[in-house]
Amino acid sequence: MDWFRRFLGLQPTDNEEATESAVQPAKPIATDAPTQPNPIGKKENLAPSMETLPKRPRDLPPSELDTDEADMIAADGRTRKLPPLETVQPEVGHQLVYGQLSDVGQMRDNNQDAVLSFVSSASLSQAAPNFGLFVVADGMGGHENGERASAIATRVIAKHVIDEIFIPSLSGEIGSSADRPTITEVLREAVQQANHVVSEQVPDGGTTVTTAAIIGHAAYLAHVGDSRAYLITDEFIEQITRDHSLVQRLIELDQLTPEDAVEHPQRNVLYRALGQNDHLDVDPVFRQLPPGAFLLICSDGLWNLVKREEIQQIVLEERDTPQQACQRLVEMANDRGGTDNITVIIVRVPN
Amino acid sequence: MVDTRQFAIEPNKDLLGVDGTLQQNSVLNNRYRISGVVGVGGMGSVYQARDLQFPDVERYVAVKEMLNLSQNRDMREQMKGNFEREANILASLSHPAIPAIYDYFTIKDRAYLVMEYINGKNLEVILSQLDETLPIDMVLGWAIELCDVLDYLHNRPTPIIFRDMKPSNIMIDVNGRLRLIDFGIARVFQQNKKMTMIGTEGYSAPEQYKGSPMPQSDIYALGATLHQVFTNEDPRLHAPFTFADRPIREYNPNVPPMLEAVIMKALAYDPLQRYATAREMKEALETVRRAMQGSVTAAISLGEVPSEAVEEWGSEQTSSKSQLRWKFKVEDEIRSGAAHHEGTLFVGARDHNLWAIYADSGELRWKFATEAPIVTNPDIYREGPTVLIGSDDHHLYSVDIPTGRLHWKLQTKGPVRSSPSVIHGHVFFGSDDGYLYAARMSTGRAAWRYAVEAPIRSQPVVLEDMVIVAAESGDVVALDLSGQFKWRFSAKRTVISTPAIHDGIAYFGSYDYHLYAVDIKNGWSIWRFRAGKPIISSPVVVPEEEIVVFGCADGYIYAVDLFNNRERWKFQTDNQVVASPAYENGNIYIGSVDQNIYCIDAQKGRELWRFQTEGPVTAKPFILDGVMYIGSLDHNLYAIKA
Repeated sequence: MDWFRRFLGLQPTDNEEATESAVQPAKPIATDAPTQPNPIGKKENLAPSMETLPKRPRDLPPSELDTDEADMIAADGRTRKLPPLETVQPEVGHQLVYGQLSDVGQMRDNNQDAVLSFVSSASLSQAAPNFGLFVVADGMGGHENGERASAIATRVIAKHVIDEIFIPSLSGEIGSSADRPTITEVLREAVQQANHVVSEQVPDGGTTVTTAAIIGHAAYLAHVGDSRAYLITDEFIEQITRDHSLVQRLIELDQLTPEDAVEHPQRNVLYRALGQNDHLDVDPVFRQLPPGAFLLICSDGLWNLVKREEIQQIVLEERDTPQQACQRLVEMANDRGGTDNITVIIVRVPN
Repeated sequence: MVDTRQFAIEPNKDLLGVDGTLQQNSVLNNRYRISGVVGVGGMGSVYQARDLQFPDVERYVAVKEMLNLSQNRDMREQMKGNFEREANILASLSHPAIPAIYDYFTIKDRAYLVMEYINGKNLEVILSQLDETLPIDMVLGWAIELCDVLDYLHNRPTPIIFRDMKPSNIMIDVNGRLRLIDFGIARVFQQNKKMTMIGTEGYSAPEQYKGSPMPQSDIYALGATLHQVFTNEDPRLHAPFTFADRPIREYNPNVPPMLEAVIMKALAYDPLQRYATAREMKEALETVRRAMQGSVTAAISLGEVPSEAVEEWGSEQTSSKSQLRWKFKVEDEIRSGAAHHEGTLFVGARDHNLWAIYADSGELRWKFATEAPIVTNPDIYREGPTVLIGSDDHHLYSVDIPTGRLHWKLQTKGPVRSSPSVIHGHVFFGSDDGYLYAARMSTGRAAWRYAVEAPIRSQPVVLEDMVIVAAESGDVVALDLSGQFKWRFSAKRTVISTPAIHDGIAYFGSYDYHLYAVDIKNGWSIWRFRAGKPIISSPVVVPEEEIVVFGCADGYIYAVDLFNNRERWKFQTDNQVVASPAYENGNIYIGSVDQNIYCIDAQKGRELWRFQTEGPVTAKPFILDGVMYIGSLDHNLYAIKA
């Protein structure tokens, strides 16, 4: 039987962004560019993402509207500056707001983490709660297997949850009958489906997954591995996922102290991950989030180096700017060695 | 996952096939002609070979090949030395369950061990090809033999800890004889590669991850192996050290409790709690075998011994913990729960009466007769004060508490088997006529009614801004307080269970075997938990433990985690549990059709005490000031110190 090992070995790669942030840890990380979905062999040349698409004047002829390149590439063939961005800036307190960041860290050459956020903020006369979907996956396996596994898992999960929860919620036909799977079951199916696809497409890779769907103030999570979710309020920070790691089991059995776990030679051994077995046990977690609370999801690159009290403090200090909190947390992990890829999502639910 | 490309030297090149295994008919050491591959592993392969030393007979041997993976020359030499030392130890072993070692040698960076060829299959393969479970006496025989071989190994002049007991290392030959294979000699060549983590194996004892293994680690791994053989659940597919979560007898009821107990003792987390020696475990298994081979009656009694000792009510210990204050006999069965107002208890009975009884003395205050049996719980209108009760005579009654006289009654078109809820100056109740009624308490006139279109037998749950009610059709409907539809959730079958509301979630059971958690804002189902039979019991939420507790017709009381909908514990009674639990001060109180009322520790699901009545108990306990009031089908209302 295949027992899976997690490789921490260095993989040669020519990832530029990774190199840059690795040599300049102090520099604030400007974007979460490494987290963009895989462009599959295509070089991205300022192709605008949905969010950053500039508004065009109304009277622009339709033909011009369709030619992105003409709009952005000047006569000399060089790119010119984009017009100021008009992005959705949801008002803190009324909407779901979030920040996300993934960084290669200081020691690795490649980023095997994957991250995805999808948010729908609505103001409709009929009940339509905010919807947010968040995924953090920490891939493992030599060569490029780790990043492939985490990317595939993230895409499969996002598609399944959006198809089975978000789209049906728009047509008002969700979860109101025992004939349909519960929301918890949809999330579990999504992770199990991702498990099959990863096993099929990346037989030598594996990945953790922690995914959360937030509907109104309700958080539905599905989780495998040691990427964690924390619930943070002014009063407390609580880890709401349970690592599927050998050391965590030993701690639960009082065979190991949390202090010893930090140094344990097998602290990276997981007993559950995607891509290892046809059968995958997925841990569901359901929580009602208090108004204004934060949900933080991160890979072990963060929680191994930043204490939970520090996480809480930074999240609260940057309560109105979760993106800023993500950057400070990643910087802190990098300052302490950045031994692994660091990925974090911070979501704040409405008041 | 060993990367073989890192080898500087590729030995025996002419002998190797494309995949690095020896080719058929290659001759090793001028003596062993390879005739087939038995298995391929990360460390090398195992071959079947013919021993050419005996040209006149077909003598087959097994040749185990191991790769010396070290890139460092000194290291390779050192490992070669280790191998020869280990091989010498192995060659000196003599036990019927240990294959004989004939020869060993090394060729460049490959080491070979020549041993007895076993014509058979390993236990892992046997288990994977199995449709049914293996005969218990056969496995028991193997278990005793494995203890014997462990005992032999642990008592060598230099004790040998096997360290790798698991089904794939146990061979069963065509004659049914067992051999322990793979004496960890391959480990000589394993090096702790920095940054590479070796996966957990599922059979290893907790202490094996802390440092050096001990004889008790082999005992744990044997327990893990036997657990898998009887349950056919591969421990590598579960979280480590979770055997206790998969009780053997739940998978395989034919396993005697005594045998299960032996295996679970071997699987204790703490090595000191296990058998001290393999011999001790062997003796325990032999005792089990004698009991199984004994008289038929002995075998039967073995099968019936409950896994935990049961204290009968009436014994010293239990009587000191629970204490009957009084009991009050009515004229027929009490199926429903009680309510309380200023020192008086109210309970309905199948004798048509609503009974008012003084809580401290158990004496009658008054009784109020309806025209048919009562199976609903009363509720109190404090402003009256009146007590509300539904009857099978189609009416909901409001009865004046001081006098015991009728205040008003409201007629429906069917029996009223839905307990009323009084709140906001209104009473909400359902009827078998398919309507949910909201009536003004002052006048007894219906303010509105809503057609759920199926008999309602649960109690409506009234919140700040909505009322939720479950119906026989399986529909759970939410209305606003003016009777306007908000949402509907449809279970597959009848819902009699009254929803428990906690933190914006409604929890209720259904005849479709599921407990549902539904968001009360929109009726979306959050999760569901499947029990073994219909759930009639109304759940109770225990916020301190973050669990929801309910009974089930399968005889169990379940506690399910609110946050991950996994079973936290379950408690077995001797018959269906249709009654609803009550929670108070860390304890769950619940009745069963087995005639008992149980007090269970909410955290662990352990019985604290039980009280036996003379009939099935279907009512929900009512607890006030440390006293539990509960009726039984034996016609009595009991007051018991909680």
